[in-house]
Amino acid sequence: HVRQTVAEVDPLEEASFEQELKAVESMEQRRQELRGRPTLNMMIPMNLFEGSTKDHHARGTGGESGDEALDEETGGNKEVQVKVLVKRGNKQQTKQMYIPRNCSLVQSTKQKEAAELQE
Amino acid sequence: EDTGDDDNYDFGKGDFTEHACRYCGVSNPACVVRCNVPSCRKWFCNSRGNTSGSHIVNHLVRAKHKEVCLHKDSPLGETILECYNCGCRNVFLLGFISAKTESVVVLLCREPCLSVNALKDMNWDLSQWCPLIDDRCFLQWLVKIPSEQEQLRARQISAQQINKVEELWKTNPDASLEDLEKPGVDDEPQPVAIKYEDAYQYQNVFAPLIKLEADYDKMMKESQSKDNVTIRWDIGLNKKRIAYFVFPKEDNELRLVPGDELRLRYSGDAAHPAWQSVGHVIKLTAQEEVALELRANQGVPVDVNHGFSVDFVWKSTSFDRMQGAMKTFAVDETSVSGYIYHHLLGHEVEVQMVRNALPRRFGAPGLPELNASQVFAVKSVLQRPISLIQGPPGTGKTVTSAAIVYHMAKQGQGQVLVCAPSNVAVDQLAEKISATGLKVVRLCAKSREAVSSPVEHLTLHYQVRNLDTSDKSELHKLQQLKDEQGELSSSDEKKYKALKRATEREISQSADVICCTCVGAGDPRLANFRFRQVLIDESTQATEPECLIPLVLGVKQVVLVGDHCQLGPVIMCKKAARAGLAQSLFERLVLLGVKPIRLQVQYRMHPSLSEFPSNSFYEGTLQNGVTVNERQLSGIDFPWPVPNRPMFFYVQMGQEEISASGTSYLNRTEAANVEKIVTTFLRSGVVPSQIGVITPYEGQRAYIVNYMSRNGALRQQLYKEIEVASVDSFQGREKDYIILSCVRSNEHQGIGFLNDPRRLNVALTRARYGIVILGNPKVLSKQPLWNGLLTHYKEHECLVEGPLNNLKQSMVQFQKPKKIYN
Ligand SMILES: [Zn+2]
Ligand SMILES: [Zn+2]
Ligand SMILES: [Zn+2]
Repeated sequence: HVRQTVAEVDPLEEASFEQELKAVESMEQRRQELRGRPTLNMMIPMNLFEGSTKDHHARGTGGESGDEALDEETGGNKEVQVKVLVKRGNKQQTKQMYIPRNCSLVQSTKQKEAAELQE
Repeated sequence: EDTGDDDNYDFGKGDFTEHACRYCGVSNPACVVRCNVPSCRKWFCNSRGNTSGSHIVNHLVRAKHKEVCLHKDSPLGETILECYNCGCRNVFLLGFISAKTESVVVLLCREPCLSVNALKDMNWDLSQWCPLIDDRCFLQWLVKIPSEQEQLRARQISAQQINKVEELWKTNPDASLEDLEKPGVDDEPQPVAIKYEDAYQYQNVFAPLIKLEADYDKMMKESQSKDNVTIRWDIGLNKKRIAYFVFPKEDNELRLVPGDELRLRYSGDAAHPAWQSVGHVIKLTAQEEVALELRANQGVPVDVNHGFSVDFVWKSTSFDRMQGAMKTFAVDETSVSGYIYHHLLGHEVEVQMVRNALPRRFGAPGLPELNASQVFAVKSVLQRPISLIQGPPGTGKTVTSAAIVYHMAKQGQGQVLVCAPSNVAVDQLAEKISATGLKVVRLCAKSREAVSSPVEHLTLHYQVRNLDTSDKSELHKLQQLKDEQGELSSSDEKKYKALKRATEREISQSADVICCTCVGAGDPRLANFRFRQVLIDESTQATEPECLIPLVLGVKQVVLVGDHCQLGPVIMCKKAARAGLAQSLFERLVLLGVKPIRLQVQYRMHPSLSEFPSNSFYEGTLQNGVTVNERQLSGIDFPWPVPNRPMFFYVQMGQEEISASGTSYLNRTEAANVEKIVTTFLRSGVVPSQIGVITPYEGQRAYIVNYMSRNGALRQQLYKEIEVASVDSFQGREKDYIILSCVRSNEHQGIGFLNDPRRLNVALTRARYGIVILGNPKVLSKQPLWNGLLTHYKEHECLVEGPLNNLKQSMVQFQKPKKIYN
């Protein structure tokens, strides 16, 4: 378990941090506005799905294949495998990653899958 | 868990591996990322340690760096994080989206890619865009947080140390934490005092602070160069070349204002030689386009539009004048009267009265009747050599000041000098004083002469140009020639300058009142003028040395007007601010026992709106000069929860969605509700110019503007006309209806900007007819002042939740306020 709570943060410190943060955020916001509307080329390369990855590969937090049913019951402290789509130059590439099952990113996909199954 | 000291020693002192966190030494490849800014390339980990954000986030924010690269041994390998679509690398704008049906995720920027409509038709699910930085940490599944054991072994670095080392890196990128211990590296300047032995000691304290601020300002501005700027050419009425272009505001600290000097450069091509010219900003258009009037017309490559560069030309003028004023104060015995000299330094002096005949009535022609507290202020001020007038919001500060100046001018003590730190305030005051029938000259900086002004007819340069007497015909002729040809022969130029100077002098000398900014009072054109009576408005927004500039011209009677319960001067250099440069002369005089005369009747706010500010900031002394009926607009049908109380606190929850890195996108619900409130106002007959939306964060400001124009239920144009701005830019102004979007933060962070009582005071006192506050009471109630505000709203049944057309009282529990921090 990792320390998540923080000792009292000095409010002055906090205010100055916020000010700088505000600066960083707005900077790019402006620059982006100037770039105008981008064109989209976000097709998912179909070769990604050869062998069907529709079912999420699950694994325990430790990395070894755990007992799925048990984990679901104990709060689903599990990770699912996703493919992260990245560009290398102009080439599309994917990388495997494990992300927590309770991450909102996975949630929506799972829900939709469930809905599709019902149809 | 055994956290042996030996391990600690190894981590703290030993040679770090290359990818060890530069703050704490953690070097687990899964937990670190590299800052991708070429001049930096330092590694940082994703643990919070004792700070409010993770180390990497702290670094990015403090250093204003925004790009990172993952470690080669991380799951994604050596990867620069960027938007899959547009390549934007600002981590603060990035987030993941997933495909609708497949387990594929991709990084996409919030703006503009996330809002591109084409995406909606594709296979991506936009509803669950998940920010890369959440709660000031990188997503933990992408960059792991070091284990508790790793964190315990790491060097414990404090937020203060982080700031210091970041400051050090700006000048020495290879510095280590150990370098902080070296003498001289981190010397704090001598702080300001309340009393000073003499003017030399005063100068010794303030001169270094001004120097620090000047150095910071210079560094900031000179780092603002922009390349690949596109120019649109035009010609002004005075036949000068004007270049229009977009100069992105780098951040909130640097605001381009009319009068600023910029250098435009073109590196040349086959058909054009290299070229450059300096010019002055004459205006900023609504589209944030800059209009730059070039100094010289020759050789301008007007057939080229692309590939220009723009640099900021930093000028030391204002700082030089502050230093100059302090020197004059020290060496010139006649710079201020003996009484004022000792009083400003905090020496004991016997109370002195000014022996002047008091007028029979204290109002002035052309101004509204004065109320009792205004009459009292005018009367008291006229009898004292030093006085402070505190003008809470809407209490008629400008009218009172104008009346004072009117009576001073009638006393025959010579010309009166009237100043304020900002041009806007000077213009307002000049207009009011001119209304009394006094002869007013508004002196503008040379660089601002082309900037349009609401009181142009009062400006010196206008009066010089339009003085229509026969003996000025020579000047006129030369002026005309200069306008037509752009240049004069050197002998004509000499003649022209001499004639102009003489005319300027003549006009200035015949005026009853000279109005200029505090810095403007150091203009060489006033060098030989003496002013016994000086009034400085908005003096609580000026630094001490700035206030001193108009005073050292021979002052015997000074009036400082302001409100130390509203926002103070903006100091950008933190060291200087910490040492007390942000404290105004007004505030120090209050500390020295000068009691401000408070204007007590406010004419702006509906009585329900003034109640809380009066009690919290002005000891309940604020009286209402307007009635409930006068602040009720007929025919406006808005769902105020309590009739006759046009205010409510609209409870906004959704804690889970907040993230400090991108406050804007995480407060989408709050922004959506702002749009709904605005739409309801507009539907009920309120016009856009009556509405102001205040939010402390630039991110939220931009988001609200975008959101309203995209999703507003009514015509887009209506929303575009609504002013959405920061608290600070609303100071000194008012709107009929104010919507305040708080952009709450979560438990790791304080409430930031809203923690400053003076800022809250300003935010709450802008509205005339009604106010809606949106925020999270759970978070805000931790702060005592906000707790008080929330309790006030709750007691009046104005703390509500639910849909706008069916608001219900909220039962949300407040948190116990923390002890007051000062
Ligand atoms: Zn960096
Ligand atoms: Zn670290
Ligand atoms: Zn993008």
